[in-house]
Amino acid sequence: MPVSYRYYDARRVTGEVTQIDIDNGRVEQAGTSFFDKAVIRVLGDKGWGILSVSGEEAEFEDLPDSFIKEAYSASQVTNIHIPIQKTPSMLHTVPAMKENPADVNLDEKVSILLDMYKSTEGPDIVSRRINYIEKDEKVTFSDCLGHSYTYNLCRCGFSVLSVASRAGVVQMGYERDHTISGLNIRHRQDLAREATDRAIKLLDAKPAKGGVLKAVLDPELAGVFAHEAVGHASEGDLVKEGSSILKGKINEQIGTPLLTIIDDPSIPEFGFCPVDDEGTETKQTRIIQKGVLKAYLHSKETLASIGDGDAGHCRGMPGVEPIVRMSNTFIENGDSSYDEIISECKSGILLKGSRGGQVDPGRGMFQFNAEYGYLIENGECTTMVRDVSLSGEILQTLHTISLIGNDLSFHPGYCGKGGQTVPVTDGSPHLLMDKAVVGGCEID
Amino acid sequence: MRLIEDILKASKNLVDETEVFFAHSESISADLKQDKIAIGSKSKGSGIIIRVIKEGKIGVSCTDNPQTWKKCLDAACASVKYSDPLPWKGLPEPSDIDQTPLAYDKRIKTDPALVIDLIEQLKSGSETYKADITSGSASAAVSGHTIANSNGLIYSVTGTQVHVSLEMISGQSTGYESDVSWNLDKLNPSKTGEEASFFAAKGQGGKEIETGTYDVILSPMAISQLLDAAVIPALSGRNVHTGRSVFARKIGEKVAGEKISLVDDPMDMRGIANCTWDGEGMPIKKTSFIENGVLRSFAYDLRTAYQYEKTPTASAVRTGQSGAPAIGNHNLILNGPESDIYNDKAIFVHDLIGAHTANPMSGDFSVELSSPFFTYDGELQDPIRTGMISGNIFDVLYKIQGCGSETRTLGSMILPSVRLSDISIIGRG
Repeated sequence: MPVSYRYYDARRVTGEVTQIDIDNGRVEQAGTSFFDKAVIRVLGDKGWGILSVSGEEAEFEDLPDSFIKEAYSASQVTNIHIPIQKTPSMLHTVPAMKENPADVNLDEKVSILLDMYKSTEGPDIVSRRINYIEKDEKVTFSDCLGHSYTYNLCRCGFSVLSVASRAGVVQMGYERDHTISGLNIRHRQDLAREATDRAIKLLDAKPAKGGVLKAVLDPELAGVFAHEAVGHASEGDLVKEGSSILKGKINEQIGTPLLTIIDDPSIPEFGFCPVDDEGTETKQTRIIQKGVLKAYLHSKETLASIGDGDAGHCRGMPGVEPIVRMSNTFIENGDSSYDEIISECKSGILLKGSRGGQVDPGRGMFQFNAEYGYLIENGECTTMVRDVSLSGEILQTLHTISLIGNDLSFHPGYCGKGGQTVPVTDGSPHLLMDKAVVGGCEID
Repeated sequence: MRLIEDILKASKNLVDETEVFFAHSESISADLKQDKIAIGSKSKGSGIIIRVIKEGKIGVSCTDNPQTWKKCLDAACASVKYSDPLPWKGLPEPSDIDQTPLAYDKRIKTDPALVIDLIEQLKSGSETYKADITSGSASAAVSGHTIANSNGLIYSVTGTQVHVSLEMISGQSTGYESDVSWNLDKLNPSKTGEEASFFAAKGQGGKEIETGTYDVILSPMAISQLLDAAVIPALSGRNVHTGRSVFARKIGEKVAGEKISLVDDPMDMRGIANCTWDGEGMPIKKTSFIENGVLRSFAYDLRTAYQYEKTPTASAVRTGQSGAPAIGNHNLILNGPESDIYNDKAIFVHDLIGAHTANPMSGDFSVELSSPFFTYDGELQDPIRTGMISGNIFDVLYKIQGCGSETRTLGSMILPSVRLSDISIIGRG
């Protein structure tokens, strides 16, 4: 078969994963596994052809012609001509780690975690678990345009789960921290203790009452809001396919003028990408500027197809083709203090922590869940509540934000889309929403 | 297999027991972007997972490059040192188990013509109601695995899988459907296309509803997400014995409505990946977790059963990222009183947004509805614009009034639609 490709690239990721699982004082697992995966993409005369290989077959220094041919042959089922945009290409330096986890042996990591485990004790605590994960990756990228990059990136982190139980009520506290800046488990007893304290306090918390309320979102949950409600709907692939409510809304005022939302894969947070997974330079994209939709997040393909925004947001799991993704998504600081926000809320609910969320960007509906919250009465936080969620329509909700705090902070996590999970960071200051649909297990 | 023999031989003097799991797969897929095929993909790969046991301590490691098994074996042996010992009673002995593949269709090959045909069927079904395709896919895979251990057990199987999915939109109304089977005759891409177009087209123009309590019908997809979020984790022996299950100490007690049963039947014909042994090579068996509302059993793999002195239920699966065996289920079946659940007025819920955010310990949830309709006279009638359903997943087990006669297989669950009474819906009306 004659191979008349218009473009190809290849990305190989090879590395090790170390996991430690301490469950109720027992070390259940502590060890290392290995992976080596490659994905080769060829743009044929019509659409994409993709070849995923692993192990021995991924062990190439120079991309074999046979792989280009095989990927090209996969493209033969396509029946639409896909254009792609030429984009600037460069590699940002991976920031140096304070302490490389690879320099610390497994013995020491296990003993640090066992020590952390001690600080999770508490009255009514019935279960405690600490998990550690360290993923050390070497990424090699090359394309037909002569770009070629190799970099190493280590992501590590831990989570602490404490479960409290009393008189038939079971509640949990969960804390986690993930980073690219090196080993982060030393001297973290405070975070571990927080999981335990929260689980115990939640035993006495009241179930939240659902309804339409004023709500204050803490930075972690507001970051998830930015990610779920705005970030996904601004992804160029969804916009192109017609499954985003933000299609055709560039330069429209879609939210309060107080609101600016940014995605920036180039900053050294957990979603950091030294270059994106199709070789494009990564940089800041201002999605919403003062309430006006300014840009979509793009790949080479979606930028060529619909414009408005920046490429450099294309990411894939090892061995899987990259798709448009967020990386470090955040709401910019406003000028209100936390105290002003609580006092201005007067009567409502403060939502804290995140159990994740989901969005249907075509329909424009999002949902996410706080780990806990407090009622706000007469401008003060009072009773603790549990299991509070928030759902709403993207376009309505962005107008109901009436105050934005000045205390931006970032929270690392993972995001799933199209069967792929990638590391991300969400960030925000505190927010006040005037009309939020809050779900709780009780209704009037 | 030479590779497996080499690993077992090399580990013989290092540890008490060794288990090797070798898996391989090859697949092909075509992805729709709007109504055109924009991506064609092929993938192939294999991997080995080595588990070793020494003096009751378990070590495990995996690699996707079987040629580097020595490094993998070294890592598995090294990890033994750190794990705390348990009263280990041995890997399974070989038995004359039937190794005939139960989920293999020789017509399913990684053939481009097959996925193109599936895409055409999807598209023709999608023309039933007026809506636009946003994305979709069809894939075919052939895979297999061999499990072997130092007791001489060695079992091998090959399987096939075909999968289709379609997302459509009409105005601001979205519709999603998917289907999967090992058997080409059991896959119905045209019906998948029709359903996706139905929910997108008919969901338009929905009205808001008032906050209140309603009778609700959850589709198999919706109920599967709730079971997955809290009920299935609560049945895991490991969670039960480590204080992470509300079902702990409730064996013999009532935990669901009188006629509700939850059974894992690995041989049920509706399963999509039936196999006569589990992820550790144990002969599979049927396990009743909940029988007529009464909690009867939990799920155990070998390590959890040995540690807590329980009988293993052959519940090990290898679905996790590492491929190491973990507690799961094969074909979890929800049985309840069959009735004509669509007769009286109710809110039908096709899908949920954010079910994974439910509280996995307490079971409390409040999540947004996807494709909700008022249903009466046996049919989905008036679309509902938005709404949030909230409650407690464990209470839902008591609120099941009836089950539809048709079931769907969703991964490792086989479920009917269920009619629930007295469910809180937060509306925006």
